[in-house]
Amino acid sequence: MSNIGSIYKPLKAKVDKVITESPTIKTLVLIPEADFSFKTGEFIQLTLNGYGEAPFTPSSSPLEKRRLEVTIMKAGYVTEKVHALKAGEVVGIRGPFGRGYPVEQFYGKEIVIVSGGCGFAPIRSLLYNLMAEKEKFKKVTVCYGAKTPEECIYKPFVDELRKTERFEVYRSVDNADDKWEEKEGVVTILLDDIKVDIKNSVAVVCGPPVMMKFGTMKLLEMGYPGSDIYLSMEKNMSCGLGKCGHCMMGKYFVCKDGPVFTYEEIKNEPDIWL
Amino acid sequence: MESFQIATADWLKALQKLNESFIVYAPVNNGDSIDYEIVGDNNINDIIYNTPKPVTPLKTFFLPVKENVVINKKIHNKNIIMGIPSCDLAGVSLLDEIYLDKDFIDPYYRNVRENSILIGTDCFTTQEHCHCTAYGINPYPEKNNDLSLISLNGSILIFVNTDKGIEIAARIKEVATVHEISSENIKAVQTKREAVKKELKKSYKNLPDYKETGKLIIKSKDAIWEKYAKTCVSCGACATICPTCTCFLLIDRPDFEKVRQLDACQYPGFERIAAGEDPLGRKYVRFRNRYLCKYVWKPEKFESIACTGCGRCIESCIGSINKNELFTELVNKK
Repeated sequence: MSNIGSIYKPLKAKVDKVITESPTIKTLVLIPEADFSFKTGEFIQLTLNGYGEAPFTPSSSPLEKRRLEVTIMKAGYVTEKVHALKAGEVVGIRGPFGRGYPVEQFYGKEIVIVSGGCGFAPIRSLLYNLMAEKEKFKKVTVCYGAKTPEECIYKPFVDELRKTERFEVYRSVDNADDKWEEKEGVVTILLDDIKVDIKNSVAVVCGPPVMMKFGTMKLLEMGYPGSDIYLSMEKNMSCGLGKCGHCMMGKYFVCKDGPVFTYEEIKNEPDIWL
Repeated sequence: MESFQIATADWLKALQKLNESFIVYAPVNNGDSIDYEIVGDNNINDIIYNTPKPVTPLKTFFLPVKENVVINKKIHNKNIIMGIPSCDLAGVSLLDEIYLDKDFIDPYYRNVRENSILIGTDCFTTQEHCHCTAYGINPYPEKNNDLSLISLNGSILIFVNTDKGIEIAARIKEVATVHEISSENIKAVQTKREAVKKELKKSYKNLPDYKETGKLIIKSKDAIWEKYAKTCVSCGACATICPTCTCFLLIDRPDFEKVRQLDACQYPGFERIAAGEDPLGRKYVRFRNRYLCKYVWKPEKFESIACTGCGRCIESCIGSINKNELFTELVNKK
């Protein structure tokens, strides 16, 4: 009985650092009070003591057990408060929950990643994982889109990625400025220029619902079968345990059965793009 | 397993004895409604037998409206819950699938569930909206009950179904003189059961069965949901009182504590995400969601059915929405 509350009880974690990634996005570097393991793509619940809780997929490497990073856009009740956090404060984490990216199934293949806005957060974790075993993949092509150049996150990481063998990064912004030297337009236009052997590749899509929708449509047009398109779904996950019902998407509990699904698995479920 | 009968006077003695080691809950008539009460000297003679559902669904014992799910608790009291009709007993199967899911066993649910003895009852009468038989459930206990009990001709008939039930039977036998159930009583029970089944089937002869309802919902158009949701005020009574609706909200409390509070997909914002998008933003979509969940999605995911035909959602609706009228209309529109 001593452990009776364990499935709902958060693990305390100290905020070690708060990194401002863009005017609307910050990364919390957390030091959990005990080692914390997760597989890339699985998510956690971040608890603000006595205030509220919200789901995030860690943006740090799954190989790191002592530190955990979550990249969070200011978008609502909990995230406003998250943005006001300072180093030294204590938050709670629960999880990891759900089903992440099946990285082993990507072995020997090319990977095309389509990502937008703060959706780059789970993708960075995936990329750390892929970089750690890069000889197992033919090529990794990252297409990333943001609203403006200043909303592009992880600039040092993108530079590091560009220097890494087998990794290519293409970026676009909806509204460019004079200094922007990459593409202008929605992220899907980047897919027009990439070279990929579709038959031997998988695609990963993560971003705001509307980007996920058009990204997926474009990939299907290019010839990807639905079973090779991996989506990280955004729903109102709460308990993380497949019980509270807030994240139901048809027959699926996104918190337990997802958040990563292939398009094939969920194409007939309601409101997948909200 | 065994069955026996005892004189009603002996049963009351046994009940007093059981009351020493258990908290016993039984249905009592409160004038215009029947609900569970803790049995004591004041009401032991007011317990009613062989009747359909109490107002409160059985789930409330296992999933209280509000419960702190982080703090440690002492072992729960041992409960005996009597007079549970088959609709509520059938509902326990889905609760167990969700809350005792081997990946994440909910320890609070398990604690009360394991420390409760469930005593089922036959329904010798029916209420206006009872429709268990439409969904393949008989109006007498067939599953999830440790014992079941019938009051008949001055005797109490007891049927023992589980090991927990054997323990209780042993305690009853300590104070009661046990007889074999008379053949007249067996016959009387069988006759009663058939008559109640017939009555239920007659009142709901046009209602589609559980599977068919799911198919009809999938094919249905928005208009019928808009029509029936017109008087819905999103109060969530239907879900709150449903024996199989168990969605909840986690509320944060200081010291990283969390309170699990019964929630309902009928409340606005149930599925709303951070940026404000809400797939269940419109009232008729929320209204339909509950039936999609019950008749389409839950059956795809779980073995157990998610509507047991108790009719509470119809009785409790302040907008007078009758889902059975809706489903009958769907059949007629086919």
